[in-house]
Amino acid sequence: MKKKKLTALLTAVAMMTGILSGCGSKGAESAPAEKTPAADEASTEQESAGGESGGTAAAGDAQPITIWYYWENEGHQATLDQLIQEYNGSQDQYAVTAKYVPFADFKKQLSIGASADELPDIAILDSPDHASYVDMGIFEDLTGKFDVGNYYEGTVNSCTVDGKLYGVPFGANCLALYYNEDMLTAAGGSVPTTWDELKETAKALTTDAVTGLAFCSVQNEEGTFNFAPWLWSTGATSYDINNENGVRALTFVQELINEGVMSKECINWTQGDVMNQFIAGNVAMMVNGPWQIPTMQSEAPDLNWKVTLIPKDAQYASALGGENYAVVTGGNVDGALDFLTFATSEEKVKFMMNQFGYISADKTIAESQFAEDSPYYPFVEELNYAMARGPLAEWPGVSDAISLAFNQVITGTATPEEAAAQAQATIDGIVK
Amino acid sequence: MDEEKRLSRKTNILFSVIAVALLCVLLFPLYWALITSLKTEQEIFQNPPTFYPHILNTKSYAAQVETGDFNMFRSFANSFLISMGATVIAVLLAVPASYGIAKYHFKARKAVLLSFLVTQMLPVSVLLTPMFIMFKNMHVYNTWVAAVLADATIGIPFSVLILKNYFASIPKDLEEAAYLDGCNKFSAFVRILIPIAKPGVMVCAIFSFLYAWGDLAYGMTFILDQEKRPITAGIFNFMGQYGTKWSYLTAFAVVTIIPVAIIFIFMQKYIVSGMTSGAVKG
Amino acid sequence: MAKIKKFFRYENVGILFVLPAFLYMLVFVGYPIIHNLILSFQDVNAGNLVRGTKNFILFDNYLELFQDSVFTASLWNTLRFTILCLVFQFIVGFALALFFSQRFSFAKPVRGILLVPWMIPITVTALMFKLLFATDIGIINFLLRSLHLIEKNIEWLTTPGTAMFALICANVWIGIPFNMILISTGLTTIPKELYESASIDGAGKVQTFWRITLPLLKPTIESVLILGFIYTFKVYDLVYVMTSGGPVNSTHMLSTYSYKLSFEMFKYSKGSAVANVLLMILLFVGVFYIRATTEGEND
Repeated sequence: MKKKKLTALLTAVAMMTGILSGCGSKGAESAPAEKTPAADEASTEQESAGGESGGTAAAGDAQPITIWYYWENEGHQATLDQLIQEYNGSQDQYAVTAKYVPFADFKKQLSIGASADELPDIAILDSPDHASYVDMGIFEDLTGKFDVGNYYEGTVNSCTVDGKLYGVPFGANCLALYYNEDMLTAAGGSVPTTWDELKETAKALTTDAVTGLAFCSVQNEEGTFNFAPWLWSTGATSYDINNENGVRALTFVQELINEGVMSKECINWTQGDVMNQFIAGNVAMMVNGPWQIPTMQSEAPDLNWKVTLIPKDAQYASALGGENYAVVTGGNVDGALDFLTFATSEEKVKFMMNQFGYISADKTIAESQFAEDSPYYPFVEELNYAMARGPLAEWPGVSDAISLAFNQVITGTATPEEAAAQAQATIDGIVK
Repeated sequence: MDEEKRLSRKTNILFSVIAVALLCVLLFPLYWALITSLKTEQEIFQNPPTFYPHILNTKSYAAQVETGDFNMFRSFANSFLISMGATVIAVLLAVPASYGIAKYHFKARKAVLLSFLVTQMLPVSVLLTPMFIMFKNMHVYNTWVAAVLADATIGIPFSVLILKNYFASIPKDLEEAAYLDGCNKFSAFVRILIPIAKPGVMVCAIFSFLYAWGDLAYGMTFILDQEKRPITAGIFNFMGQYGTKWSYLTAFAVVTIIPVAIIFIFMQKYIVSGMTSGAVKG
Repeated sequence: MAKIKKFFRYENVGILFVLPAFLYMLVFVGYPIIHNLILSFQDVNAGNLVRGTKNFILFDNYLELFQDSVFTASLWNTLRFTILCLVFQFIVGFALALFFSQRFSFAKPVRGILLVPWMIPITVTALMFKLLFATDIGIINFLLRSLHLIEKNIEWLTTPGTAMFALICANVWIGIPFNMILISTGLTTIPKELYESASIDGAGKVQTFWRITLPLLKPTIESVLILGFIYTFKVYDLVYVMTSGGPVNSTHMLSTYSYKLSFEMFKYSKGSAVANVLLMILLFVGVFYIRATTEGEND
């Protein structure tokens, strides 16, 4: 197969050079390579070869259903593939295939696809972006088609716009505090529950080689996700920052940096990088999500760590994350609904969530999902305090203003007061 | 042949030593990538850094071969097809075009030259949507043809600009001699001028190939099936939400360099002599 | 027929040579340029990308941009970045090209190997430099500390000024082989006889360089600089991976800002407008280049 393609190409190349080499032939007018019959053949061959990827090949006239997702994690890909295989094996009307689009490219590909009318039938997307695509009009209204009564309110909110349901939560996650138990014991500290305790503990844990605390502070949605727990803990909201509470959250972060208990590098560390620092023993405590647990267990099996609630200022708070399923308008809606009905059944949800290291968005499943001594358990507890970002079509703008604010404070380019005022001005311009 | 001005033995050694020193400095990042790829993640994060891997870790290379949907060898084959295709188109179209611009002073010459430049003036990101729509209508979306066509748009203007100087530097008498021998304009171009401009053509082919080889945006956007994507797409396996795995990533860098480097070494005789042989004699 | 034949006699035959390449570029890039121009005069965002009306708001996007501090900072950053990169990579590349044009034993193989930075996808290069410039684990800080040039680690990528410096270093590293090879090939077009007669006339090395090498290399230098300018000016991957425009937007370039507006903020029209400003500046430089290079030619 591969050889054939190569031969085809080589023939094409040879033909091209043939045209040019003869004296007096009209070399300059030669057509571009793809117009030659040999190359044409190769490309059609490609098309037919690459038609089916994920599931079992469609027999007969099964309708193709395409899913776009962004997990680069091999385990996640294999799990999704297994779900699809099971579905494809269970009926012969539809043949589902999944296509991987990297997270960094996902929004771009959806935008381009929307312009060019080349979208999948189902998208599994990051929940804070959901409202923007609803605004774009590319998602089907699923109100009444799925029972989300038992789901965590935040997860349902993330795919609800104007009271209508435009998606189904895939799974939920949120942020919590991981701590290195050995380091904590060695420093004689106790598990922090308030901001003051957290700062003290972080100080005690900080040495020449170790910084006390880290959380991803990249200037994008990921950073906003990690800053939100601190902001919301004071009682401030995402839209109302320029007040005592908002400034207090920014000041707290500033103090962590200035007192050397958190590295400035956090503005360049993704959540994954933060985890890598944590398992390398360079960071004693980190804020991160449950999806890191499988990696941590396999990469650093000897590391002694535990998870607890993110320490609070006025109230416990965390940011809700996770993906939603969405059905794309203009695609094969019936097929997509059929697959989603299959995928959101209790049995399948349990299977997916456990394999992924996710928490079910369905409260009843989530509460019995983990044993009390499981490292996932604190996340289920934290979920009760977790809130969704948005949902708002213009959320990317708000998020951008917030992430700029804490980056200004971390890098020392603005005081918390200035940063809060500037962010507020931007947000007011977006949310009138 | 070129026996003039051989350097003395002493200068030869001195220059060679300097050359190697320069090589070490300039390629240090590559050395660092190589040893990082052989370290464990823990060692990479160790402070102070280690200059050679204390614990040899080859897991990172095993991960390159097959990760989920990603198959390294298949991706290499894809990259080669795409890069070769783009190179062929770029060279075939750019060589005559640059000759036309260099040797014929037709009226629209300046405008044409400027328009070649203009095509390079938009950032790739805004080209993606309209190109995508076009490729979809041409029914080449999600095939390597789309990437070939898009990648060639980088190689063509580049090659035209570089080659036109080459053709311009070839004295007119050579061409005129060819006409006297009974060649017409096209055959003179093919028989006399192209061979003389070989070093330039070689460099343009190399750069066109490497532009296409390094492309990520076109390959990712226009090809949706993982099994048709170029090798550069593999980078996403090792960075993203789950953190940058430095050992995997640097192993990826090393692996992507090797095949191209091997080709270069095997073809060095042709490439280097092509690039540096005196073009114009007399 | 006869008319056409007559038209393509003499100089106009050149058009036939140029036409295939020209048409190719017209189809594949001409349409996107027009598409982008129209988009920049509209008000397209998430709400009306697919459905709803796209209103023509003419220059509103552009006017808005010039009140946007991130945009003006990006404009300034892009200019600064491009000029600094160009200066360093050109000088070093030129020097290396001259050095390797000497006939010593290792000249050819070493010059070949120096092309290797070009074989690495830019995203990978960017990540490698991110690792080199990391504060605590980065080798650059370690070397500087070992040489006692610094006492405390420099926070390269998290301080506005030094982040730009790190980006420039990475880009110059990629740019050096580019300049070196193109100038090397340019050097081969200079007839050796010229050097010989110059040395017979008793000209020194420096004189030969100024009187022969530089003037004869002028077209190559011009091409290298204009291409370098264009490619550097629209730098994207490198910045996106190394700093994503941070810290605090201090390394945003026009291209990264355009991308962010279009594909992260869903402000497609505004993103297009940024790209067009980039194009306008390059167009200005391009026209200047064409003028300078074809000056004195009898068209």
